[in-house]
Amino acid sequence: MTTRVVLVLAGVAASAYGVVLLLDRPTEDLVETGLWLAAGVLLHDAVLAPLVLGLGVVGARWLPARLRTPLAFGLVVLGSVTLVAVPVLGRFGAKPDNPTLLDRDYTTGWLVVAGLTLAAVVVLALADRSGGEE
Amino acid sequence: MRLRAPVEGDFRSRLRGPEVASRVGLWLGICFAVAFLTGLVSHVAQQPDPVVPLPTRPVWGYRVTQGLHVAAGVAAVPLLLVKLWSVFPKLFARPDGWRPRALAVHGLERLSIAVLVAAAVFQLASGLANAAQWYPWAFSFRATHYAVAWVAIGALVVHVAVKLPVIRRALTGPLDPSPDPEEPGGPSRRSLLRTTWAATGVALLTTVGGAVPWLREVSVFATHSGEGPGGVPVNRTARAAGVTATATAGGFRLAVVHGDRSVSLTRAELAALTQHEEDLPIACVEGWSAVGRWRGVRVRDLLALVDAPARSDVRVVSLQTRGAFSRTVLQDEYAEDPLTLLALDLDGEPLSLDHGFPCRIIAPNRPGVLQTKWVTRLEVL
Repeated sequence: MTTRVVLVLAGVAASAYGVVLLLDRPTEDLVETGLWLAAGVLLHDAVLAPLVLGLGVVGARWLPARLRTPLAFGLVVLGSVTLVAVPVLGRFGAKPDNPTLLDRDYTTGWLVVAGLTLAAVVVLALADRSGGEE
Repeated sequence: MRLRAPVEGDFRSRLRGPEVASRVGLWLGICFAVAFLTGLVSHVAQQPDPVVPLPTRPVWGYRVTQGLHVAAGVAAVPLLLVKLWSVFPKLFARPDGWRPRALAVHGLERLSIAVLVAAAVFQLASGLANAAQWYPWAFSFRATHYAVAWVAIGALVVHVAVKLPVIRRALTGPLDPSPDPEEPGGPSRRSLLRTTWAATGVALLTTVGGAVPWLREVSVFATHSGEGPGGVPVNRTARAAGVTATATAGGFRLAVVHGDRSVSLTRAELAALTQHEEDLPIACVEGWSAVGRWRGVRVRDLLALVDAPARSDVRVVSLQTRGAFSRTVLQDEYAEDPLTLLALDLDGEPLSLDHGFPCRIIAPNRPGVLQTKWVTRLEVL
């Protein structure tokens, strides 16, 4: 119990220090940071989570049981990796005078990753079926 | 049928719960700890007058810590998504009764979780955008990312402390319910965990190539392919720094100043001094890095020309007129280090304009932003 109390106090102190650092920023920076902080939670809790939840409900109701695991695999892998790749896929930071920045063909890269994920889904589904027949 | 807000019990997937949340959360916590500690290293390294100066060895130190920093952030994305999914019903939990004490406990717990999730999402999103030099905001990235890092790590420590008994029970208990995890109806917890590790692995493999050269080919989402003049990518071009005209104008002179002693050298005069060649990495705060073969004059040889005393810090002044790093401080341990060069050539060719022509600083184990380009003046402090 003592360990937990000490940890809580240390955590609160660290967070408070972060808040102090934030309050040191110019007001317009602070307001914008607050908006971004809130937007992140809202985007997750009100958009992404319900979407994934909906897919889960639909999958559980209409998909045959043996396809659920492979398809969940595909969704989690491709979905999260796509989210990681948003800044490069959009090339939002590209600068015309710097050809060494964001210098890959990210769309083709994504298609390759999507294709490999799909192949893995198929392999998993087939492996599961052959396992079930034994 | 009337629509109503869901309650915790409405969520029936047996995949959710502490068994999955604790196991994914453990790795998520490790990623955040690594990102926080390596972030501290980077923060200290960028201070003009750090409390604890970064050592100059190993030369690849910052390359590793900053590569780890960005990799930990990337790995945290799939982990955070699955972690939040596994505890999502908690969002609809009701307080344990309506007495003031129960309400207060409930409110505090809610607040700490809201702070944790907001700070965690913010750190990952802003970090990923920054790595791709995408700034869809006006606030200072460096100061804000640093401040929110403290908020995030503090909220994480509080969260772990509060949940410690639950975590301990879940990690020591069985993952899937016995006896048969393969009850009909889809994925087991084990398969969800394997899927999560796979997603984390794919996210890492497709991005780390910017720092790990042998993974370049598979890192289809790396922000830099690694190509560039002299085999080194460019972070900030001469045009972006506003030096195109001044750096190419004739009559360039490097001034080395120590009090009232000063020497002024043309590029040809610099090239006539004793040259040294070193393989040193450029490691950027954005996480990518590349080793270059630099050739130029040792900074300590230049300082000797003006009789600089031992253990002097040096102010490095760049031609660039824009940006926070147009003037940097080279601390004494870097200034004295035999590996620290005022480089004139990269990979056997004169520096390209974007790599800092006519001359630039290259020092061991230093953040890229401090490897000042287009140097026009060295001032002994």
